[in-house]
Amino acid sequence: MKIRNKPGGVLGIVAAASIVALSLSGCVRDGAGQGGGGSSTSPGITDTSITLGVTTPLSGPTAGPGTCTVAGLAAYFGAVNAAGGVQFGDGKKRTVDVKSYDDAYDPQKSLSNFQQMVADNVFAVTSGLGTPTNRAFRDAAISQEVPQVLVMTGDPLFSDREESPWQLGFVPIYQNEGAAFGKLLAESGAQHKVAILSQNDDYGKGYVSGFKEAIGGAANVSVVGELTYEATDTSVDAQLTQLAASGADVFFNAMSITPLVISSLQKAQQIGWKPSWFLPSNTSSPTAILQPGGATAYPGIYSVSFSKAPQSPAFAKDADVVKFLADLKQYGNYPDMPAFPHCMWSYMVGATLEEAFKKMTEPNRDSFMTALRDIKGLQAPLMLEGTAVDTTTDGQPAVSSVLVQKYDGRGYTTAEKFG
Amino acid sequence: MGTFIQLVVDGLATGSIYAALALAIVLVNQATGLINFAQGGMAVLSAYIAYAFTRLGLPLILAILIAVVVSFLIGAVIERFLIRRFEGGDPDTAVVVTIGLLALVTGICAVRWGYNNLAFPSLFPLTSVEILGAVVSVRSLATTVTIVAIMVALQVLFLRTKLGLALRAVADNPSSAALSGLPVGRLLMVGWGFAASLGAIAGVLVAPQLTLTPGMLDTALVYALAAVILGGLSSPIGCVVAASAIGVLENLAAVYVPLVGHDLKIAVPFVLIFVILVIRPQGLFGRKVVVRV
Repeated sequence: MKIRNKPGGVLGIVAAASIVALSLSGCVRDGAGQGGGGSSTSPGITDTSITLGVTTPLSGPTAGPGTCTVAGLAAYFGAVNAAGGVQFGDGKKRTVDVKSYDDAYDPQKSLSNFQQMVADNVFAVTSGLGTPTNRAFRDAAISQEVPQVLVMTGDPLFSDREESPWQLGFVPIYQNEGAAFGKLLAESGAQHKVAILSQNDDYGKGYVSGFKEAIGGAANVSVVGELTYEATDTSVDAQLTQLAASGADVFFNAMSITPLVISSLQKAQQIGWKPSWFLPSNTSSPTAILQPGGATAYPGIYSVSFSKAPQSPAFAKDADVVKFLADLKQYGNYPDMPAFPHCMWSYMVGATLEEAFKKMTEPNRDSFMTALRDIKGLQAPLMLEGTAVDTTTDGQPAVSSVLVQKYDGRGYTTAEKFG
Repeated sequence: MGTFIQLVVDGLATGSIYAALALAIVLVNQATGLINFAQGGMAVLSAYIAYAFTRLGLPLILAILIAVVVSFLIGAVIERFLIRRFEGGDPDTAVVVTIGLLALVTGICAVRWGYNNLAFPSLFPLTSVEILGAVVSVRSLATTVTIVAIMVALQVLFLRTKLGLALRAVADNPSSAALSGLPVGRLLMVGWGFAASLGAIAGVLVAPQLTLTPGMLDTALVYALAAVILGGLSSPIGCVVAASAIGVLENLAAVYVPLVGHDLKIAVPFVLIFVILVIRPQGLFGRKVVVRV
């Protein structure tokens, strides 16, 4: 499987590029016809139902979070449909169907999934996880005027209205998260030496640039070591050994690969390096990562979040959490305690879409996009106090406010200050 | 200096993962003359089987032993009913079959256990000891010791026992072996069975560190193949030495050669292969294959 990946990389890019080119040149005329200008009815919506499509990894190493991006959405709309559906802005009541497509985190597959979705009459593409996979069909979605909205990528490109007229990201962009960490550290008042390990792509670079910007003026924070790794690496032991020698007391690990984060947590404590950790929101799961990694050995594990953590005792009796877990079990085909925040995120995507549906006055994509870009101050279920959905700012995703969280041994609680 | 030693030790630990898989590949090659690309996938399946038994409440060591036995049977059955049909034909066809098998086995694991990372319990504790200023985890130390023990056992099996001689004879020349009265079919099954058992051990040794997923050994397989080519297809010792060397050199090159860095280190074993194959086509420890015309 992976064997094919390495030599095939360049070929893959060429192939993907030519498919994009083909779809651009070949499908523009189609797209204009079915796009949804004026007061016509767009594909995927009838008087009684609307169809959403999700392309996301349901197999492969990212399948855990990927499965969650479908489960939460299906759970949300499962419950809504059971209650009769959504009252749309045009006065009609519709049920919401969610179709999922597996792309295995492979850009070529996500592009062909997109074409399949167009053939299957999907109204809008949503919730899918992955920067390269979402990028792969972004151009095609624009030319065919199909909404690709509230997707799970921290890439700022998707929230730039000029560049991406039919797109909108859902989760905070990487820079938002990195900046939240940097700000917390800069405000701590104490001296800190920071070691940084980041994935050698836009994901890692985004985190690091946000972080560095935030500590820019702070005299109390210095970066003493900065290394990278490749997403395909099986071990980062050498990097950790090198960074441990820098004597840093804070470790910013901008890493998106689950097993590598676990083994990093284990390795650093083995070699006697016990800094405070900053981990991205998508790789800081208490059950899937911190517990197997033995995270309690460190003075502090920090992450950022905008969603309540169902695992945390603090939220065990929270009304949102109780309903969410019940919906997830009944409609999301996900009976376990969610191991990844993507389950909560996609549930919120459901709530945000419902809000847009309520506001859209005509059954077409134009009206949907206008409605979607006009949501402000929406406290979706499961959102933490102090965060909200705001789709009105150009350049920012639907959720751009995050709170730094500290691991308490079981779940996360909001950290007002570092230490 | 402390960092240097730590890097070497880390490299040996990583190398032991590659070595475990490389040994299984050498075993199949020695016993059947094939390169089995599905070896990693089969090892993962074995680890899942062990995992399933631990979930039934069995003690870990018992679950592993059962997985080793079951894997032997699976290996033998695969040889008898799948690979047998392609033996004696074009070896390239058989190799492609093993690649197909890799995809199939990975798919089976995914269907049964899903793609989530499962925590696999370790036989050895996560504590560490200090040797020469470097911190060595008991887990990777024990993994290395186990690998070396298996390597010695294999070396003895192939070079000092009748079974080993018979296995080599069958791999080398099936028709002559059959003419001298060796039960070729059964020996081929035994070879695949042994390799699958060895893969099972490799799988359960590395699963705690990599966490159990269907694609757990995909990248390791690339390194293991590099180690096999580098060390020589016919030499258990060679592939273990090569795997360790790859692990160590990769780490050192990443840290001390600025041009390589952590991002290019995967190229290190392949540059090594290129250089060494030009000088010694049979690999560092391999025997030269002589073909009479």
